[in-house]
Amino acid sequence: MRKIATVFKWEINKLFSSWKRTVTLFLLPAILLMLALNIFPLLINYMSTGSINKRPVTVVAAPASFRRYVEENVDARVFDYDFITYKEFNEMTDDKDSFRKQIRKGTLVCYFASGDAFKDFDEVVTAYYEEVSSGNRAAVSEATIYVGFDENSITSEARAEQFIEGVLDNYQDSLIDTLGGDYSVVGSSLFETDSFNPVTDFEDYRTVANTAAARVVPGVLLIMMYYCVYSLVSDMFASERDRGFMAKLLMTPVKPKHIYAGKILAINVIVTASTYVTMLLLFFSSWINRSNDAMSLLPFGMMLTPAELLIVLFSIPITVLLMTAVCISTVFQLERMQDITVNLQLPLVFFLGDFFLQMVRGTRPVTMEYFIPLHNTLALIAETFMAQNKAWHVIVIYLFNLGLALLVLRNAFRKEELK
Amino acid sequence: MIRVMDVHKSYTKEKETIKGVSFEVKKGEIFGLLGPNGAGKTTLMQMIATLMKPTSGIIVIDGLTADKDLLEIHKRIGFLTNEIKLDPMSTPNRLFDFFAELYDIPKEQLYQRRKESFERFGIGPFADKRINELSTGMKQKISIAISLIHNPPIIIFDEPTNGLDILTSKQVTDYLMDLKEQGHAIILSTHIFSVAEALCDEIAILVDGRIAAQGSVKELVDQTGAENFEKAFFKIYVDNHVE
Repeated sequence: MRKIATVFKWEINKLFSSWKRTVTLFLLPAILLMLALNIFPLLINYMSTGSINKRPVTVVAAPASFRRYVEENVDARVFDYDFITYKEFNEMTDDKDSFRKQIRKGTLVCYFASGDAFKDFDEVVTAYYEEVSSGNRAAVSEATIYVGFDENSITSEARAEQFIEGVLDNYQDSLIDTLGGDYSVVGSSLFETDSFNPVTDFEDYRTVANTAAARVVPGVLLIMMYYCVYSLVSDMFASERDRGFMAKLLMTPVKPKHIYAGKILAINVIVTASTYVTMLLLFFSSWINRSNDAMSLLPFGMMLTPAELLIVLFSIPITVLLMTAVCISTVFQLERMQDITVNLQLPLVFFLGDFFLQMVRGTRPVTMEYFIPLHNTLALIAETFMAQNKAWHVIVIYLFNLGLALLVLRNAFRKEELK
Repeated sequence: MIRVMDVHKSYTKEKETIKGVSFEVKKGEIFGLLGPNGAGKTTLMQMIATLMKPTSGIIVIDGLTADKDLLEIHKRIGFLTNEIKLDPMSTPNRLFDFFAELYDIPKEQLYQRRKESFERFGIGPFADKRINELSTGMKQKISIAISLIHNPPIIIFDEPTNGLDILTSKQVTDYLMDLKEQGHAIILSTHIFSVAEALCDEIAILVDGRIAAQGSVKELVDQTGAENFEKAFFKIYVDNHVE
């Protein structure tokens, strides 16, 4: 054990002997990821609309029920709003070129039409429910909500769909409670949370933010972990063997497995710490997301319960061990540095593919995925963020990855010894 | 101290790199391995240093074999190859401390060893400089100092003077002579005839994985009837090399 500690200490000191090495491993990947996560949506928006900032939704003649709905519902506050009157809207559209330009830049227009020039939207809807309540099943309401957007822009279209599904559909469902009168059966029974308490404020946003995080965070963490493991295994095993330093270590009166164990422990501690730093920055990135736009990859309010956080935190060193085992096995099988570099980089393609798949998939992982090495960590973290994880998933994935890591390492060391 | 008996090594089924090599090195003797590139010198030295297993044959180090007493052998051997490059960001002092811990050298002894080695090779002023800031010669001297940190009775040096300037080479060869006088058994491989002539008590000329000739410089010259050792080597090589 003392020799393992000596090698471990040596490797850790080596990392801290140069600030460039320390920054490269601990902060640079995390900072680059933060930048990428924040710049990527801006870039897509710029490419699509020619504007970096996302424009507020222009709401024309918003009825009181809609304004109230926006104030009371977190999902609706994901968007910024610009409330204007019919008159202001007419003035806006008088200059057709300027209006088209605004639409091209990503402005969404939500237009409330009551269908009756003398009544407002809420009055028309209330009257409709009264008709229905009095038994007139043929009653028709002319109250309509129009949504205008730039059909040629994917970003505008996606944003409009998100607005319709996430805000308008729910708003329309809520009208039966707020304006339905006798027709309302259930009625609203909202539990008012203390809006001054930052924890409850986070809780309000948590579901939306965590669902978005489930698509982004697991993939980001896996790519970042593998990048660090790959760099360290290249340095501590492949480069040291290439420059003969490993031979010097193996010539000391220390069991080879103790030398390897010291190095593996150092890799695990460094990468786990580095991943925790990245996770912390990911949380901060979400918490400082003041704009909280719907297109943001990490909307405001990402938060895990202590139990969920522990599940994620424990999954990291186990995954790092498996990644290290795979990389060491590759290094031991190959002789030439360029072959090693190419082969170690290949899994990065797998992790990138997995990351993009997770970004677009809307379903939760299936059982078979828990037995795909390394991908199962992605599935576990995604499930945890969606608060859908079960105890047996966690146990199976931990044990499977840990067992596999030890098996791969044992085989790699045995083959190396036979040489 | 070192007995190599009918050692063979094959990396592939088709080609044998070492083909039945046997020799013995005694205490206080410098045994030279001479041969062209690819003759198998480095492979043979790595097998003696236990970094590689022979395909067949036995290597006995101070009465011990690698399959039973690997770590004991490591305590008795100092191995240096010119291929070893130290961690560029480390310093001689840090490397010395690290290897001292691995070899379990007590602090008082370490202080003495460090003082002696650093003084002999002039490492002192550079002790806290990073390896990548040092000259090739200084790096090699640090490598030697670290290889011998545990004062091993058996020393295996693979071309220790390769790439060094005349002054540094002289320091290294003088050090080897001192070690020999102290009773260490040394195996040395070199390309430089003058080094072999000056240092080695016995020389084995390795051609295509076999010992083509073995003996002292004088014996080899006499065997071939050549004018000098260099010519004797080429004659042995031409007579034994298979195209």
